[in-house]
Amino acid sequence: MRQTYGKQLPGMRLSDLAGKLIVVEGTDGAGRTTQINMLRPWLEELGHAVLDTGMTRSHLAGDGIRRAKEGNNLGRVTQSLFYATDFVDRLENEVIPALRAGFIVLTDRYIYSLMARAIVRGMDPVWIRGIYSAALVPDAVFYLRLDVEQLIPRVIFSRGFDYWESGMDVFPGQDMYENFRSYQTALLAEFDRLSVEFNFETLDASTDAKLVFAQLQAKVQRVLEADSRRTYLARMFEQPAAHPTARIEERSVTLPRETASRQIDWAFHPVAANSSPSNGRNIPEHK
Amino acid sequence: MNTGSNMRIGPFEVFYPMEGTSPRLSHNGENGFPGRLFVVEGIDGSGKSTQLSLLHKWLESRGFGVVFSQWNSSELVKDTTKLGKKKKMLTPATFSLIHATDFADRIERSILPLLKAGAVVLCDRYIYTAFARDVARGMDRRWVRDLYDFAAKPTVAFYFRVPLETAIGRLVTGRDGFKFYEAGLDIGLSDDPTESFRLFQGRIVDEYEKMIPEFGLTVIDATLPVEVQQAQVRQIVRTHLERAKDLRVRP
Repeated sequence: MRQTYGKQLPGMRLSDLAGKLIVVEGTDGAGRTTQINMLRPWLEELGHAVLDTGMTRSHLAGDGIRRAKEGNNLGRVTQSLFYATDFVDRLENEVIPALRAGFIVLTDRYIYSLMARAIVRGMDPVWIRGIYSAALVPDAVFYLRLDVEQLIPRVIFSRGFDYWESGMDVFPGQDMYENFRSYQTALLAEFDRLSVEFNFETLDASTDAKLVFAQLQAKVQRVLEADSRRTYLARMFEQPAAHPTARIEERSVTLPRETASRQIDWAFHPVAANSSPSNGRNIPEHK
Repeated sequence: MNTGSNMRIGPFEVFYPMEGTSPRLSHNGENGFPGRLFVVEGIDGSGKSTQLSLLHKWLESRGFGVVFSQWNSSELVKDTTKLGKKKKMLTPATFSLIHATDFADRIERSILPLLKAGAVVLCDRYIYTAFARDVARGMDRRWVRDLYDFAAKPTVAFYFRVPLETAIGRLVTGRDGFKFYEAGLDIGLSDDPTESFRLFQGRIVDEYEKMIPEFGLTVIDATLPVEVQQAQVRQIVRTHLERAKDLRVRP
């Protein structure tokens, strides 16, 4: 049976949640959305029903949070709790029903981003963990890791500095660049800590998005294969493959021509096929 | 999950002095600020709002700088709460969280700064309302208490105790029908709104009774005449203002 991080909300049934909960985490600009936008069609092509969800997408609190962020008067505790409301609304009304229906739920950020942001804003780490103790333990957390130095060009040359992403509410002064550096550095340090505590699988997000995607495909495949029923049903229609990357290639043949050929390249790309997730910064790798 | 041993003293705290800003009740104790915080609690129909408004006028007439804050009134959050209630989208958990968000906004931008500035702050409903309602909806008692850990500790929390039937009698004559969430219709105690209200408010009263010793609530017998209750309230409030040399006066 599926577990939570400690508490169970009223009316929350944890039995029969047959689906898979897959989290993609990472700081701003790490390419989470890009990866999810590639994962979803790939999984659907393989025949899986997919729900993707992410921060501030709840019917209840999404608009409220966006409105509150337009001004300069959203406090740190209020912000943390507003996001928690948004999270729990999606957990109860989207994620759990989808898992019960056997969907693969891809979530762009999860409680870890929310905890990191709150802690960096000075919230008590124990307090924020307590609030999210009702969250489901996911099947996998893929952490797209990027250094601040690699992050800066991605952000400034795409969408520019955002008030909240630059931690302007956290750090004193008006220097957006300096504050962005300080804020993102603090966030990364927190993410690295959380990655140990919550068994993240860390991927080096500084390489080409296609290479990251090839690694993600292999890892997601492993998560799905851990489910014997799913594997049994899937194998009824497929030839056994020699090794995981070969299976990706084989399944990808059914994709539209352009996508499929690109995917084959990634799967056999020397870096993608051989490298384990970047481990050069003393981040323990789990599994 | 690790919830005990992970207190972090990282490099970041250097930027952010935690004292007085940490979201823990103990840091915001009554002794930390020059201001005074008086709150009223009780079920609907207990007469607490009447008593608070009489207290408000009395304090103003005596020249204190008084500010009033009402449950569920944050400009940033109340539209979301309204949406959730209107569309009946709220579960016990999101009901709890959105009210905590509303309260957090009022604490951060109004109540705490005012207490620091030496104001007398009056709150119609406070964290005990959330504890009573959320637990009556099935939320975990400990979880809800921890959630509100950032609240300031009131100087005095008055609980207006009234028999359920008296309160219902006052409400039935005062307005028509009960609202969906205030009658607890969301948790399916009964399909009949009046019966559901009765059962739900009964649970809330049970929670309040448990909180009297837990938080040292000051009980006022709300069946007494309005004037008698008010005299008791003023007498208690007076003792907490006499020694206060650093309270603000109205300009």
